[in-house]
Amino acid sequence: MNRSDTLRRGLLAGIFASLVLALFDFVTDGEPGNGFPGVLHWFGLTMSDPTISHWVGLLLLIVLGGVFGLIFGALGVLWWLLFEVVLANLTNHASSLLSPSFGQFLSSFPLAALFGVLLGAIFIQWQGQHEPRRPS
Amino acid sequence: MSISSSAQKQQRGATTASEESAAAPPITLSERSSTGLALLRILVGYLWFQQLFWKLPPTFAGLYGYVVRESQHAILPGYGTLLQHTFLAGCPSLSSPVGCTAFVPLAACVWTAELLVAISLLFGLFTRFGALLATILSVQLYVGLAYTEWIWTYGMLVLLALVFVAVPAGRRLGVDLWLAPRLRSAAQRHRLASIASWFV
Repeated sequence: MNRSDTLRRGLLAGIFASLVLALFDFVTDGEPGNGFPGVLHWFGLTMSDPTISHWVGLLLLIVLGGVFGLIFGALGVLWWLLFEVVLANLTNHASSLLSPSFGQFLSSFPLAALFGVLLGAIFIQWQGQHEPRRPS
Repeated sequence: MSISSSAQKQQRGATTASEESAAAPPITLSERSSTGLALLRILVGYLWFQQLFWKLPPTFAGLYGYVVRESQHAILPGYGTLLQHTFLAGCPSLSSPVGCTAFVPLAACVWTAELLVAISLLFGLFTRFGALLATILSVQLYVGLAYTEWIWTYGMLVLLALVFVAVPAGRRLGVDLWLAPRLRSAAQRHRLASIASWFV
């Protein structure tokens, strides 16, 4: 498998994994997509129009998923754990590497880890499906 | 000889075909169906995950009202009494768990079991074990709360969990994808791996 194929698979796996996480926002209390403006808050951004902030948040989530997927495709799985901690703390706005609040940790780390597992699983599944079969 | 042999072969062939049509053909799930089931598994896992937050440690106070309701409305004779002598032992009030002797450790067991279900189904990690645990927890909820809400609410939860006991949904979009073949090959040498392979 050549480099561009690996990167493309990483990108698509990242986008798919972020779409699965986006799906969770349609099964939470309140209005569907209420969590998407939160993605903007990870970067300290706010938008006054709630409709636009929902859509831009969703778009940013997908773009982020794609970027992490690309990095995953380029670097492989070894940096995965470090990435999870950084991502979980980014979503928490935590000042230290390990958040002291159990509730905050529980609400963010498993989902960040799920993103990583999905990314890896989708990538490996696609790799398996597209590998040339050897004659037995 | 050749004619009779050919006739015998034809007869044998016809018998085999009729046997095959009589027996149920094996069902193979397509890649899309397996991935779809895996997505459902993740969403059901998220359902369990969300329910951890209204009964967080260290007090697990959110759970208390439900245990009290279960003890009053259980459909199984004796189940209410069992709850009153375990979870609700020594509780001075029906509105707060303060003063209960065994509520916190038992509620911690329930919360941990639900956390295990959530992790198992979200990550596809020993998925069938998680689904089995989810079935037990859901049956318990059904017994205690079925007639306090829409009767199918907890019934559907039981049925959903049973689906994932039956189907190995963690082998797509989950850790079981990586774990299952390794456990299968280790199962020939180790009894523990053989048992663990039932749950992926």
